Amino acid sequence: MERRLQQIFFALSLLALALIVAAAWQANTPSWKTYQRSFLQLEAQGEPNAVAKAAVLATPPVIHQVMLTGLQRVDRCTTCHLGVEDPTMKNAPEPFRYHANLGPHIPSKFGCTICHGGQGLATDKDGAHGNVDFWPNPLLAKDYIRASCGRCHKEGDVPGVPELTEGRHLFETQGCRGCHKLNGVGGSIGPDLTGEGANRRAPEWLERHFLTPNAVSAGSAMPNFHFSKVQARDLTYYMLSLTNEDMGSYYSSVRLIPGPEYGRQLFVEKNCIACHSVGGVGAKTGPDLLGVTTRHSTQWLDEQLVNPELVYPGSSMPEYDLETNARKALLAYLATATPDDVQLILSRKTRAWTPEDVAIEAGKQNFARFGCVGCHGTELQGGVANPNAQGGEVPSLLHVSDDYTKDEVIAIIRNGRAPPLENTSGPTPPLYMPSWKHVLSDEDINRIADYLWSKQQKKESW
Amino acid sequence: MNLIREFWQSIVRRDPLSTDKGKSELVFLNVWLHIHPAKVKKENLKFRHSFYLGFITFFLFLILVTTGIALMCYYRPYPPQAYQDMKDLQFVVFMGSFLRAMHRWAAHGMVVCVFLHMCRVFYTGSYKKPRQFNWVVGVLLLLLTLGLSFTGYLLPWDQLAFWAITVGTNIGSYAPLVGGQVRELLLGGHSVGEAALLRFYVLHVAVLPAAMILLTIVHFWRVRKDGGLSRPVWKLKPAKPEALVTIGAPATVAPLQAAPASSSKTYGLMEVVSGKPIFETVTPEEEEDTVFSYPYAFVREAVALMATVTAIMTISLFFHAPLEELANPAKTPNPAKAPWYFLGLQELVSHSALLGGVVAPALMVLALLAIPYLDRNPSRRPVDRKLILWLFAFFVAVNLVLIVVGTFFRGPGWALVPPWVHVVGGAE
Amino acid sequence: MNRRAFFKLSWGSIGVAALVSAVGVSLAAVVRFLMPSVFYEPPQSFKIGSPADFPFGPPTFMVEEKIFVFRDRDKGFAVASAVCTHLGCTVAHFSSDQRFHCPCHGSVFGADGAVQHGPAPRALDWFEVTQARDGQLSVDKDKVVPPTYRLMV
Repeated sequence: MERRLQQIFFALSLLALALIVAAAWQANTPSWKTYQRSFLQLEAQGEPNAVAKAAVLATPPVIHQVMLTGLQRVDRCTTCHLGVEDPTMKNAPEPFRYHANLGPHIPSKFGCTICHGGQGLATDKDGAHGNVDFWPNPLLAKDYIRASCGRCHKEGDVPGVPELTEGRHLFETQGCRGCHKLNGVGGSIGPDLTGEGANRRAPEWLERHFLTPNAVSAGSAMPNFHFSKVQARDLTYYMLSLTNEDMGSYYSSVRLIPGPEYGRQLFVEKNCIACHSVGGVGAKTGPDLLGVTTRHSTQWLDEQLVNPELVYPGSSMPEYDLETNARKALLAYLATATPDDVQLILSRKTRAWTPEDVAIEAGKQNFARFGCVGCHGTELQGGVANPNAQGGEVPSLLHVSDDYTKDEVIAIIRNGRAPPLENTSGPTPPLYMPSWKHVLSDEDINRIADYLWSKQQKKESW
Repeated sequence: MNLIREFWQSIVRRDPLSTDKGKSELVFLNVWLHIHPAKVKKENLKFRHSFYLGFITFFLFLILVTTGIALMCYYRPYPPQAYQDMKDLQFVVFMGSFLRAMHRWAAHGMVVCVFLHMCRVFYTGSYKKPRQFNWVVGVLLLLLTLGLSFTGYLLPWDQLAFWAITVGTNIGSYAPLVGGQVRELLLGGHSVGEAALLRFYVLHVAVLPAAMILLTIVHFWRVRKDGGLSRPVWKLKPAKPEALVTIGAPATVAPLQAAPASSSKTYGLMEVVSGKPIFETVTPEEEEDTVFSYPYAFVREAVALMATVTAIMTISLFFHAPLEELANPAKTPNPAKAPWYFLGLQELVSHSALLGGVVAPALMVLALLAIPYLDRNPSRRPVDRKLILWLFAFFVAVNLVLIVVGTFFRGPGWALVPPWVHVVGGAE
Repeated sequence: MNRRAFFKLSWGSIGVAALVSAVGVSLAAVVRFLMPSVFYEPPQSFKIGSPADFPFGPPTFMVEEKIFVFRDRDKGFAVASAVCTHLGCTVAHFSSDQRFHCPCHGSVFGADGAVQHGPAPRALDWFEVTQARDGQLSVDKDKVVPPTYRLMV
């Protein structure tokens, strides 16, 4: 028996040795080392002589990582994707190929996963590409990578990604906020979309959902907006960009890419033409702005925008609270502004507006911005299906003055209203009028009422 | 050369191992080994008596301590970093995933082995007088093992960890009067969060291991003082007082003179053990059937150690420890399950919170603790204890069934779904 | 010795050797385990920008990387460490005397980094600077070069 025990102990010692060696060998031969060796061979081919070749091939294998504290992530993609910053690797096979057109988005400052998705912490291919269980953020398909631009560039135009601008525009004008909250503003009928890009990263699902909501979300009350495929893609881009992450100041400082289009938008919004002229077209209170960027330094002009009094004490120019990039955008526009363009801007304001006009226009803007058009329609026609509500659909607002006084309508907007039931023992209708008193100011609500009243169609009298 | 021999002999001060004296001294002069007796009874070395389960449990604990300390070099117990550190262990640290796997499988193994050890001790009736309190210490060690496993379960901070501990602490909160407060004390708050992770970490690496070590010392000490391992059940004979010699017999027989003195044997004070076992009687021939701990006992312990280590290493080479998504308090997986050793409890709780979550487990633990005091049958022979053996087997079977049901037969919404049915569109 | 003894000895030795090797490999694995494979620190090797970003004349001090980047019209680029070799304070470079001065204990290093004055035990390190494939300058703090090293671009 003792002999047998010694034999067993012997066998187990050998087994233990084999196991520890196996474990150490497994740990010492990860797949990334193979990729690095292949890359070194590729690099060595480009070396002029044997000594240089040998020096390159002798490089020890090491994990490359980029620590991005501002983006709260660590990316190890460059452990295998070694040629990403090397222009001589333009035609190399993947994963060694050079990444062209990075512009300012260099890996050492941005990593890779902020745009491409995937699992930066991983060091094997499937893990790093996120094609594994329990990693909700796999690599984005090529068609959709540009949607990631919107994760940092949250306002204005993004050059090269018109889908984002169009998607945002659709969101604001089609009434999505009527049912969906975004960044705290909106209705509660549908889910909050604030972090939608972080929750749902499957572009195909999002696109299908925009085209036919009920096909992907069974029982959803979301009406079919009959978006075209292009519009669905634009909205999908916008959704993918809503990742709601905390970013360091370096990244959040470029929320807005300063471009002349956005600058023009600001020029119109802030109504500069009320005091200034360009090439003689416009008002005479302030100086003419044609060619102003050639006469003064950017710094001087920027200071002017921040604090007009500093440059011209006693100036009546208001202090507009514009952020750095907004100012840059405005100046970029001014560098290209022409009298004809300004004439176009002026022509839109055909007559002077009365305070009532202003209120109605503001009401109209609110009506679209806060999503009322989503249920009540862009022409106030209503018609969105609402099962078991009286009438079976969301009511039109074109005749609301027949049944309610203005104050009653204001009360409904403030407090919300559940629709009266067609069949009292049937299910609750999915759509209801939310309460807006905590979201909109009284002034905003009054303006909406003004707008509604301006649109009323009188019923034929009996 | 003399200097070397002098140096060596200043460290190793016993006689050579070729001598009997040396073999004895190896044990009782060595601080790490002197918990052993210098000589053990041959019958206690038999595998089929104890299956070495106590040793295996202890060796698993040693594996857990060493791998645990190694893992501590790379783990930070703060919510976002904890998960990142788990990923680093998996991807970047040399042998990180292997060590983590060893730690996890040794942990599960220890829970299983401590339970099996308890079953063995019960089956052999080794909790009977005078070993009752050691059984109580053993039950406490079982509870500590479960506590260590539970506190460690939270540390990866993934969905599995977060919700298992949420469910587990919620079950505990059903305890009357103190349940809610104890839960808040454990969590350092109202729900599982940063504070909970830090407290569980402190419990897992410091408090509970210290308690475990202290109680283990008591447990081993008591085994020694009770005369080593109990007699194997097949050696137990019904009493026939005249033919047998009783060690430590009742007052009518003079103690210590019962055994005839042997001229070849050295009696030292350390070999005397007190206690009055009944039915633990030996014939004069059997009484001398002892062997030196070195090498007979030690080689068996060494084999048990190697077997345990190689088994855990083999499992760890082929099976990685799981890691799910980052913990997300806003997203409950459906179903959310407690760790497997608490799934039986969760199954009970799903039927009745009070009965299942509080009464049943409390009764179970109290019953376990009370066994040595409630069992009035002095015999350790299985033939004399059929009822209690069947009762215990029933208790074990019920537990197993509950755990199996909880693991394999409960799907989304805790609905009864057999594992061979594929559930479509379940969890979100 | 007889056959039995010989085989017992050889198998025994193999067994002992296996056990000892297992322990040895385990210890080596533990040591390797404790050596970090990635560092959560600023990297030792990094890019500092394109050559055009650096002026001639007084060196560019890069505060986070703690280096001075010299650019000479004739000889090219050189990168010096800004960490005093005495106890680690950051030295300053004065154009007036072309020397490095440490504010903590008054060590003075010459233009080539050699210790001229004060408690510093050794000269300032100069780091290897190369030009990467994309044209940017790359500094490697793990590679110390002699003070005469220059990178001509």
